[in-house]
Amino acid sequence: MNTQTPIKLKTLLPLLQAEPLTDTDDANLTGCYISDLLSDVLAYARPGVLWVTIQTHRNVVSVAAMKDVPAVLITCGRKPDPQIVMEAQEEGLVLLSTKLTTYEAAGKLWEAGIR
Amino acid sequence: MNPTSSLLAGSGTTEKRRISVAQVLVYELRVRDAMTKEPVTAGPTDTMRTIQHLMKTHRFSGVPITQNGCLLGIVTIEDIINALDKGHINEPTERWMARDPVTLRDHYSLVRAVAEFDRYGFGRFPVVDGSDKLVGIITRGDITDCLVHHLERRAEEAVAHEAVLMAERAADEKARRVVVRTQIKSGDFDSAGKVSQRMRQVLRERGIDPDVRRRAAIIAYEAETNIIIHTIGGQITATILPDKVVIDAIDEGPGIENVDLALREGWSTAGPLARELGFGAGMGLPNIKRCSDVFEIKSEMGRGTHLHAEVMLEKARMVA
Repeated sequence: MNTQTPIKLKTLLPLLQAEPLTDTDDANLTGCYISDLLSDVLAYARPGVLWVTIQTHRNVVSVAAMKDVPAVLITCGRKPDPQIVMEAQEEGLVLLSTKLTTYEAAGKLWEAGIR
Repeated sequence: MNPTSSLLAGSGTTEKRRISVAQVLVYELRVRDAMTKEPVTAGPTDTMRTIQHLMKTHRFSGVPITQNGCLLGIVTIEDIINALDKGHINEPTERWMARDPVTLRDHYSLVRAVAEFDRYGFGRFPVVDGSDKLVGIITRGDITDCLVHHLERRAEEAVAHEAVLMAERAADEKARRVVVRTQIKSGDFDSAGKVSQRMRQVLRERGIDPDVRRRAAIIAYEAETNIIIHTIGGQITATILPDKVVIDAIDEGPGIENVDLALREGWSTAGPLARELGFGAGMGLPNIKRCSDVFEIKSEMGRGTHLHAEVMLEKARMVA
């Protein structure tokens, strides 16, 4: 669901123990979607959500761009290749990395009031 | 817009009190445009018989009599009939011509010329220039011929202009048709999204609704990844037209064994590598079908698959 008022991505960074890999600028989030399957994201993610995944392949950037997803949180301490980070930067996509598992990150986001 | 076509189209404010082209022409055109120039003339000492022969040869009904270029009079066919009748056909014209005939100036408008014909009832007028030299002769027939000639020319110009407009429009339509085509190699996960990205760019430039844009992009992307994951290679073409996007994904095989099953959500034949990369959700074809306004798939084992999808384009609604 993303019926909530937009939340500034920056305010969530400490909570998620997230390391920004690209410029975070002032992306607004209108919800969250969690999936490691690209087609699933293409089918169900709404524009404006934070996408949480363990995927680090360049297709993450393509899918995010296609769905107007402003930011992707990559969990379990995974990090994409610098080449892919650069591509994300060019697309204006925010990439974040956290040591938290997807489940833990989801919990934090729920606690922060993201529905 | 060129002035001729706006005149013919009678666009905008002129529409209310529309004036026909012929009406405009009779004001625009001058006597000098319609008259017969350098008319055949005779001198004052020529005989009426000479005039009679001139008329017979040239089928004139009136011949101006001049001296040193200046108009002295005119001899008409009635004068010749009278001369024959009364027996003075061999006398010089200066005795029998009509002196100081009514003339028209060469700069008069045709509308004024028509008024003069109506006023006097003459069949012709000698035409003189500013220094009273005879420069032509004009009949009603000359005026009609001149108008018809100019109307024809305007019509030809209008047709030519129309042809140019049509050609321009056809060129515009062609320019609005963008074809994005890429060869896709089996297993080339890094190249996924090329067609989709280029297509999204064009659609964004055209101000297409973001939702529609997204649907078209998803179709192209899923079709590309299908070729990468499941086939030995193929080609994807996105044709962007003014009103729709047509996506054709054609691969060289091996083909889908059971298309109905492949269209079922969650059913996947993707290998471990594809799955590791986040593919193989078993949602590719169902996603494509859901996003398409027109969806067709034909597959033959050993030959390949042709997927055809269309998305109708809508412009983004203007937000006030």
